[in-house]
Amino acid sequence: MEEIKVGVFLSDCGGQLSKILDFNAITSFVKSIPGVTFVAQANEFWRGDGLKIILEAIESRQVNRIVVAESIPKVSEVAIAKAVEEAGLNPHFVEVIDLKDHCAWPHRDSPLEATEKAKAMLLAAIEKVKLMEPIERAEYPAVKSVLVIGGGIAGMQAAEDLAEMGFQVYLIEKEPFLGGLAARANRFFPTDDCAICIQSPSSLKTVANTSRKCVYRSGISELPNLKIYTSSKVVKVEGAPGNYRVAIEQRPRYVEIEKCIACNLCSNTCPVEVPDEYNAKLKTRKAIYITTPLVYPPAYVIDEKACKFHECAKCVEVCPTKAIELDQKPKQVILNVGSIIVATGFKEFDPSVIKEYHYDEYPDVITNLEFARMIDSFGPTNGAIIKPSNREPVKHIVFVQCVGSRDRRWNPYCSSICCMISLKHAIFVKETNPEIDVTICYIDIRTTGREHEYYYERARELGVKFVKGRPAEIIHDPATNKLIVEVEDEILKKFLELEADLVVLATAMVPPEDAKELANILGLEIDSDGFFKEYNAKLRPTETMHRGIYICGGATFPKDAPTASLHAHSAAIKAAKFLMNGKIVKDLKVAVVNEDYCGDCEFCPVTCPYNAISLVPKDNGRLVAKVSDLLCEGCGVCVGTCPVGAIELKHLKNNQILAQIRALLSINGSSKPLVLAICCSECGHAAVDSSGMAMMSYPANVRVLRVPCAGIIQVQHILEAFRAGAQGVMIVGCKPDGCHHGVGAQKAQRKVELAKRLLSEYGVEPERLEMLNLLFIEGDKFAEAAKKMTELVESLEFIKLP
Amino acid sequence: MSTIRFMEEIRRRYGGETIALCYQCGTCTGSCPVSKTSDRYNPREIIRLALLDNRQEVLYGDAIWLCASCYNCQERCPQGVEIAEIIFTLRNLAIREGKIPKLYEEFANNLVASGRLAPISKFLEKKRAEYGLPPMKPVDIEAVNKIFSATGFLELFSRSKGEKS
Amino acid sequence: MKSYALFLGCTIPARQPNYEISARKSLEKLGIELVDLDNMTCCAPPPLRSIDLKTSLALAAYNICLAEEADLDIVTLCTGCFESLAMTNSLLRDNMKLREEINGILSAVGKEFKGVKEVKHYLQVLVNDVGLTRLKREVLKPLDNLKVAAFSGCHLIRPSKYLKFDDPERPRIYDSLIEVLGAKSIWYRNKLRCCGGLLRGYADDIALAIARDKIVNAVSAGAECIATLCPFCFLTLDLGQMLIKSTYKEEYNLPIIHYAELLSLSLGVDPKELALEIHKIKIDKVLEKIGW
Ligand code: SF4
Ligand code: SF4
Ligand code: SF4
Ligand code: SF4
Repeated sequence: MEEIKVGVFLSDCGGQLSKILDFNAITSFVKSIPGVTFVAQANEFWRGDGLKIILEAIESRQVNRIVVAESIPKVSEVAIAKAVEEAGLNPHFVEVIDLKDHCAWPHRDSPLEATEKAKAMLLAAIEKVKLMEPIERAEYPAVKSVLVIGGGIAGMQAAEDLAEMGFQVYLIEKEPFLGGLAARANRFFPTDDCAICIQSPSSLKTVANTSRKCVYRSGISELPNLKIYTSSKVVKVEGAPGNYRVAIEQRPRYVEIEKCIACNLCSNTCPVEVPDEYNAKLKTRKAIYITTPLVYPPAYVIDEKACKFHECAKCVEVCPTKAIELDQKPKQVILNVGSIIVATGFKEFDPSVIKEYHYDEYPDVITNLEFARMIDSFGPTNGAIIKPSNREPVKHIVFVQCVGSRDRRWNPYCSSICCMISLKHAIFVKETNPEIDVTICYIDIRTTGREHEYYYERARELGVKFVKGRPAEIIHDPATNKLIVEVEDEILKKFLELEADLVVLATAMVPPEDAKELANILGLEIDSDGFFKEYNAKLRPTETMHRGIYICGGATFPKDAPTASLHAHSAAIKAAKFLMNGKIVKDLKVAVVNEDYCGDCEFCPVTCPYNAISLVPKDNGRLVAKVSDLLCEGCGVCVGTCPVGAIELKHLKNNQILAQIRALLSINGSSKPLVLAICCSECGHAAVDSSGMAMMSYPANVRVLRVPCAGIIQVQHILEAFRAGAQGVMIVGCKPDGCHHGVGAQKAQRKVELAKRLLSEYGVEPERLEMLNLLFIEGDKFAEAAKKMTELVESLEFIKLP
Repeated sequence: MSTIRFMEEIRRRYGGETIALCYQCGTCTGSCPVSKTSDRYNPREIIRLALLDNRQEVLYGDAIWLCASCYNCQERCPQGVEIAEIIFTLRNLAIREGKIPKLYEEFANNLVASGRLAPISKFLEKKRAEYGLPPMKPVDIEAVNKIFSATGFLELFSRSKGEKS
Repeated sequence: MKSYALFLGCTIPARQPNYEISARKSLEKLGIELVDLDNMTCCAPPPLRSIDLKTSLALAAYNICLAEEADLDIVTLCTGCFESLAMTNSLLRDNMKLREEINGILSAVGKEFKGVKEVKHYLQVLVNDVGLTRLKREVLKPLDNLKVAAFSGCHLIRPSKYLKFDDPERPRIYDSLIEVLGAKSIWYRNKLRCCGGLLRGYADDIALAIARDKIVNAVSAGAECIATLCPFCFLTLDLGQMLIKSTYKEEYNLPIIHYAELLSLSLGVDPKELALEIHKIKIDKVLEKIGW
């Protein structure tokens, strides 16, 4: 094995640091550390002449491990690693620490103590790099093809974007026709245009003589590298990012799309009539049908539940193109894709459960979507507004807002689009049938989007009545066949009985019933409201914890069409960025399993936030954990979870953690008892940075160990710190719900609780251990807590764990 | 005078815990048989007054005594506010301030004296026999009073009386 | 034979022998044994809750303890008693902290709530222990399509979270028990709404207005009687019609009959045995229709 030669490079930041820290003392200390063969000091090391010094040391002095003390570590790390790599050294052999923000600035009032702390910090970094092993770089092929699940507005837009960028795209839709919920909505706000209108592919010159088109004539189906599967769903996904094998199951249509000319002869002939669900059961349809003439694919479909098949087969005889095949079977199709986009949308909540509204009992109580079907000129009543119970014209309509939304019994969230839908509908009624009396009962009217408030304004000007109050009950008077809406007018404090011919419920929008199943298949997370959970709502809104899989549109939360579009374009860009090079390049900073120790306890596979671990059988039939190098993000949460220490990070092995703990606590130099702060590299460490940058002071006895995620921490690390002389330990992680690796901060919290119990058993005061959850901007809180902990342990007896 | 906000005072008491969830939707009032019949009573308004710390108006007003305890509002509140329980909590607080309606005072007197809402008279006992009904079983008045003193009921009751006179 | 501790409460023995007699007779005929326990006290109804919620819990729990000691489930007639006891039972079963606190109080009288017995309403005994099928067989005098406005009172079904008796917005049990006797349970407006009874004595005007609403709604739907389960509802609607007459100058003469009475009559109990003179609104028309 090659001899380890550590070069240590001390930047004094243009002389700023040497005013506080004694660089001579530091240099002679560092030189005395075994393995250190070269020490240099300069103004800076991350660029220019400073960087040259490092490269020369590698070249001429065979230095093969690099420790740099720099002041802007987050950026300098990148620059130095890159240069070092070019010089032929593994870039992970570099350790950069920050003597300015972590030492000189916060401890500038006690320079002697700061100098001693600097020594400890350098010692820890040196011990760490000495134990560092090379990290390889791996390349994985990525198929330049994408599966888009869901053929609503978001799915269609994302599919079109990617297809036009040259990716092979598969768009699958569980219904027999594209369009999703949007297609049934008739009109959209805030554009007031057709709901089935999408952007035409710009690459198709022939159809692109207008910029927008109905789905069915937009040309989307003509994109050569876009393949559409209707009546289909995902049943299985195997493989890894860049290379998935997806099994989809396609229900038979019983009509050949290529042959069907939509002549309607079959439907005319079909003897079976069933209620038309698509059209809110306001009319019936045949067993062989098409939802509206405006759909893609423009081909009929047979409703399996209604059709009598060979008992009847009348349609087969009349079909002029012989398109009908009653013996079609479900098909399985296997697709090889590099990435997946989930665009499964949302659906209307079934308001029957709100029994006091009697949706399931009174035919004249309908939902907004059903109302949208009614006012569609292609719809079941050809646009006439009628009472479903007797098909008579309507004189009074009452809209009821927040039906199943903002309701802690059903869906605690605001569905965010229902106010606008009701306003849109109310305006439509008033503009087409001014004589109809329209009232909207609401708790709050929420019109937060661009131009949305103008709808509210327009509705008032058109004479729509607004009653602030959530109706208590809808009553049907059998004698008059009228509905009575009982509601308090909160502003007048009056009990109203509003008479209505039609009550329209602005129902909540909820996840489709199969969202959970799909989430399981894809290994995605579902939030407490049942929607697909994104990686980070602010910064990575269309990414998931599973790289390679993206989400958009209503699948993440109810959205209006403009927002769903926007979201879809974002997901398309993310997928394209991921696949565009045809390969995935990755440094293997990942977890590795020691198979001899692994006891197949299933803790780590369940805990890994990225689903990177599976249990695989070994020759002797025993199951052991196996980490997917591609999926692993190197967070270390598994390390913190494994009860037998069988898994560790290649880039931060257990012996490196322990060596650093010991090194940081081996030198004190102050009269105060030592405190170790173990900080996650994300917000936790950043908070320490920010306290230093803002020159907030805290005592130098506080030492900082950086780990990838608080979730890596084991109880035994905490105990080791106390054994090594710490009198207090702080764990600094992200906010519990803001952990960059999902569960890390929560896991750490549990470790802390466990360790506290153990400490009590050893007779050690549990207050000596504390968990903090901080943001970068909360450096003041870190400094404050560091001071407090120091004061606390000063007031307690000195302890030493055996 | 209490130093904490009235809303907090309610929320910390048994029965008042859910008050802060109210977002003033009016479902309770729309469901209330009393509100429907009389404009002297509006449960939503009581909750609003309480949330805005109108202690005096709520505890010393007439309204809190007009709830018929039918629980219709509570059944329907979309936020899970336990309105009927909150009304009880407010009445409990009012009584602690010495504000007790006569009816309730009589009721409490009967309870302390006989363990019943209304005592069973000799006449009634005779009537029962005539109807062929079994004689009434005794009530353990001592036990009932022990419970009352353990909960502070007796003290509460005498205090409210004392403050009034 | 199934046995229950009968919880009579305060109002029924004091004012409504018609309810007590009919309940005892009907259950006896159906083979349910009722045990009258010593020391049962007030159920801790809303007026006591108004004074002190914790005292009510303790008092209700005390009653339940007596039944636990006798190893009997409780059956109540009054829906108010049902609500107080069943709600307490459910609360103390699920909330251990509260149970501990209440048991602390009960220790003063040497009792401990264990949560091992059920609190049932008379209707639950009928529907679960006797069953609709058997009930149908036992009917000797079917109610001949009598148009009954079923009124369960609030406290049989609400708060449903604790009582779990029936669906709070669409209860069916009570109606099916009425229909099994050969009557028709009719729709009327605001069927589930309160009678206002608890406001009597504090705000009589409002109480009466609410009661009147109830009567008007039942009458306009063609009801021949209102069937009640609670002594308060009975009083509010029966005696209430006298007050409506004097206050509103309106006369409805709508018989108010306890379900137990209807059941007894259909099981063949002689009306003379039922203390029917208690009714302020005479129920002769109903008796006639049934054929007594
Ligand atoms: S085979 Fe089915 S779809 Fe065709 S006509 Fe008959 S019932 Fe209709
Ligand atoms: S290091 Fe993190 S991502 Fe990798 S296997 Fe462990 S828990 Fe999963
Ligand atoms: S129903 Fe509930 S949320 Fe609505 S006003 Fe009443 S208490 Fe508040
Ligand atoms: S419980 Fe009280 S406030 Fe609620 S609806 Fe009934 S009477 Fe009104």
